[in-house]
Amino acid sequence: MKKIVYIVVVFMVWLAFVSCRKDVKVKLPAFKQKIVVEASIETGGPAIVFLSYTIPYFGSFDFTQPQKAFIKGALVTVSDGSVIDTLKELDPQNGYLYLGTKVIGQQGKTYFLTVRVNDKVITGQTVIREPVKLDSLYFKGEQDSLGFIWQRFNEPAGLGNCYRWFSKRKTKDQFFAAPFNSAFEDKFIDGKGFDFAYDRGPQPNEVQAFRDDPERGFYKRGDTVIVKFCQIGTGEYQFWNTYYQNKASNGNPFSAPTNVKSNYNDPEEVFGCFVGYAPFFDTIIIPKKK
Amino acid sequence: MLKQVIGVVVFLIIAASAIAQNFTIGGNITDASNGELAIGTTVLIKELNKATSANQYGFYSITAPKGQYTLVFSYLGYQSVSKTVVLDKNTTLHVAIQAIENQLGEVEVFTKGSDENVKSSQMSSVNLDMAEIRKIPSFMGEVDILKTIQLIPGVKSAGDGNTGFYVRGGGPDQNLILLDEANIYNASHLLGFFSVFNGDAIKNVNLIKGGMPAEYGGRLSSVLDIQMKEGNNQHFEAEGGIGVIASRLTIQGPIQKNKSSFIVSARRTYIDVLAKPFINKSDFKGTSYYFYDLNVKFNYILNDKNRLFFSSYHGKDVFDFKDEEGGFSTRIPWGNTTAGLRWNHVFNSKLFSNASAIFTKYDFSFGAAQQDFELTIKSGITDYNLKYDVNYFPNSRHSIKAGINYIFHTFIPTSVSAKQGETVFDLGKVIKLYAHDAAIYVGDDWDLSPKWRANIGLRFGNFTQVGPFTRYKKDIIGRINDTVRYSQGKVVANYNGLEPRLSLRYSLNKSTSLKASYTRNFQYIHLASISSVSLPTDVWMPSTEVIRPQIANQYAVGVFKNFKNDLYETSVEVYYKDMSRQIDYKEGAQPSDNVFDNPDNAFTFGRGWAYGAEFFVKKTQGKLTGWIGYTLSWTWRQFDEINFGKPYLAKYDRRHDASLVLTYSPNKKWDFGMVWVYGTGNRGTLPNSFFIYEGTTSNDYGLRNSYKFADYHRMDLNVTFTPDRSAKLERRKQRVLNLYKEQGKDTTNLNVCKPWLKRFQNSWTLSVFNAYNRYNPYFIYFTRTGDFADGSLKVGAKQVTLFPILPSVTWNFKF
Repeated sequence: MKKIVYIVVVFMVWLAFVSCRKDVKVKLPAFKQKIVVEASIETGGPAIVFLSYTIPYFGSFDFTQPQKAFIKGALVTVSDGSVIDTLKELDPQNGYLYLGTKVIGQQGKTYFLTVRVNDKVITGQTVIREPVKLDSLYFKGEQDSLGFIWQRFNEPAGLGNCYRWFSKRKTKDQFFAAPFNSAFEDKFIDGKGFDFAYDRGPQPNEVQAFRDDPERGFYKRGDTVIVKFCQIGTGEYQFWNTYYQNKASNGNPFSAPTNVKSNYNDPEEVFGCFVGYAPFFDTIIIPKKK
Repeated sequence: MLKQVIGVVVFLIIAASAIAQNFTIGGNITDASNGELAIGTTVLIKELNKATSANQYGFYSITAPKGQYTLVFSYLGYQSVSKTVVLDKNTTLHVAIQAIENQLGEVEVFTKGSDENVKSSQMSSVNLDMAEIRKIPSFMGEVDILKTIQLIPGVKSAGDGNTGFYVRGGGPDQNLILLDEANIYNASHLLGFFSVFNGDAIKNVNLIKGGMPAEYGGRLSSVLDIQMKEGNNQHFEAEGGIGVIASRLTIQGPIQKNKSSFIVSARRTYIDVLAKPFINKSDFKGTSYYFYDLNVKFNYILNDKNRLFFSSYHGKDVFDFKDEEGGFSTRIPWGNTTAGLRWNHVFNSKLFSNASAIFTKYDFSFGAAQQDFELTIKSGITDYNLKYDVNYFPNSRHSIKAGINYIFHTFIPTSVSAKQGETVFDLGKVIKLYAHDAAIYVGDDWDLSPKWRANIGLRFGNFTQVGPFTRYKKDIIGRINDTVRYSQGKVVANYNGLEPRLSLRYSLNKSTSLKASYTRNFQYIHLASISSVSLPTDVWMPSTEVIRPQIANQYAVGVFKNFKNDLYETSVEVYYKDMSRQIDYKEGAQPSDNVFDNPDNAFTFGRGWAYGAEFFVKKTQGKLTGWIGYTLSWTWRQFDEINFGKPYLAKYDRRHDASLVLTYSPNKKWDFGMVWVYGTGNRGTLPNSFFIYEGTTSNDYGLRNSYKFADYHRMDLNVTFTPDRSAKLERRKQRVLNLYKEQGKDTTNLNVCKPWLKRFQNSWTLSVFNAYNRYNPYFIYFTRTGDFADGSLKVGAKQVTLFPILPSVTWNFKF
């Protein structure tokens, strides 16, 4: 929870005055490899599945050969109840991406995922819900030419809606990226109208570049930004919520260790979530001058 | 069950009164210099070699056949007082005893030590005098009771920066902490670096780890009973100190000499003021923090038989942070308030009663604002507590204590309100939970024979959660599928339980005894802590339909032996404790906001068990005093929903725990102190691997508490210098006398200085925390640089140590 994070941050500030740090060698308890299944299907698109193994911090894994973490040769299928689509392994070089062809996401439909890896069968399911509109987008400057994208949102009445937010700068970014804590539910905001903003999330696999980016987290005047706002299911929200909690408690001694809530059949052995996105798109061209 | 309790009471009274035709002498024992009640003073009938000790209100009672006797009143550090009495009727005798002042160093005084530890039926307990605690090195010069009791075997600290203590495998919320009978719900300042007890206002500290008498209840693991000073009823006295982070001032004196007195004691930190110039230049600009404590006590002797006390404590921590550029600000105040009115009444030399009405409140609030978004979180607990008990001494073989207790609790589990500009978010009203908490108890400390002594007790508790209350029932994925509303006063949940207590002592000889005890305790209110440190955000909860009361059974046996005329006290104790219905958060749970939810929905329940052996050697008198403690122990937990249901070692499982405490006072001017502690490292859950998701990496954690941190050890030192002012005063006197003689004035009735100046004493204490600068682990975190995808990832581990070597100076004064 953010409030707790604040307290902890502020407390850490105090600690920084008196504490001292040193490098240590830690003997971690035995490592057990798990399978990571990152799967999604979106209205108008095929299913996309990434497969990989968890990687031990201090073990035999060679970090200079990251491709060894990816699972190749798995049998991945997605079904909409009538058609079964066997996903194609796309890029054998970096090959952990499996892409569908026959089943295309449709609003209101339920999808079933099956992954077979080394005799292990992983199953999961999701629903594509209906898209929910943002009323308007606007830019608010924070420092110099940098700022955040704000949106006016009238949340539809009735509890049980959950959302996830993405953005992409038209010329600068390759993918839609989600910022930290990009998923939220309507528990507090049900049926209310309010404004909210997110910072810009990192592009996949460019965490270090993102850290060094002077525009990190911001949008710049002159950018054209596409916002993708998706409704997701409750179980999927649970996953993203625990996923971000896990990220927030990253080695933090003040919070309980969070293990992410997977929505697959074997949550002890499998990480991840099969999520159906119902996107609403909107574009904003940020004027160059105030 | 109530019938059984009444049955026991009736039986005890009959058994007690069967032995008649004796007379009783009783009364209050006080310190002659300031009128403070002298708790625990031993009273001996020399001719019969029969002894008793004064209770926690300084009252004693002893019974003997008709005759003439010599009564000897003795207390460690005080001159023994002998009184000859003719006992031909029940008699009241108040006695004042005088401290052996400042004779240490010049003549070594060995009064006979106390053999209470061997003789009493109570085991697993330690009584500490404030004078003893003061001599022990303290963190940043702040005398700290909670840090001191962590040096006793069976009591474990959580490491640096934590006043939370763990007794025989129990959690920090399972300790009943009483300050003048008022519950203290959060005994720590600054997230646990300091305790809320200001040493200047405290008289006596008693810790019971097992074999609790029936009068104590409501917590599983221990009782920490702290008594405030009453205030000097002879003359005014001021005492204080200026330290590195805080200053203290205590004023006490008579309102009406010999009849009534007051004490006011205050402490405040000033790191906020001192550090401001440095902070403003750093990245932490806008941070401010302080805490303060205020203790007030009045006592009034109405007459020989009635005495009134009023005691109150108020303390607060305030944390402020303002980031003007980012428009973010936060203010976090939290603290305890207690107020208690107590009436001691002596019916006669055999019957003593104590009635109290106590108010206790702990509240926490968190306010934050970012631009036009405002958030407020509140939580707390308020108690109204009524207590009445009687102490009945039918004859010299029985000391019966019986009483009733009723508490009305109001809980505010976290309640959140938020608004942005004009929009107020619907976060529900402030949710309050109410409960009645009642208990009835009786206990008899019974001399069965010269060799056998028993303390038999029974406690019956009843706990009822009442409405208004709304229960949200949830399905497996966390959606509300049912809502039950309870109207005001309607019973939501009701629990009761019988808690038998038994302690036995068998004397092998005058200086050796064997003891055994069995204790069953219920705990009806709970604190589930989400993190490993005692954060003020931890929320107290009543027993509800979901949370059932926690129950513990503890078995302990021990050998107690004193050597060299009670100069050395030693003991070995072995214990086994079984705790059921323990509470923890479900994996991944976060403190809840309680909107369409109940906090207990996030809890999961399991059991715990702990066993171990404790070794203790203490030297009580002489120039060199102190103790060595060692504990060998195991602490386990098992929760169906944690660690896949497998048992795991608790965070504060500690195989070896040792402490050495030494104080050396060679003469009047110098005092030296040393503490060395060693403990097996805490256990924790660290991520052992990571995974890639959406192109970024996240942690995967190993089994619960499967990582053991490096062992903890540390040495603290201190030295106190007390200048001898007598020579200076003498010189001044001579100077004035000479001057007067020169001027031909009369010097017969000359008072060179005011009495307070004569009494003036000051001392300097230099203390060094972590003298050999050991880097003890506080926590470990991993560092990652580079990207996984392009093969440039590098991983490292860093350990954070909270406190390196920290010297500090304190100046203390008294007059």
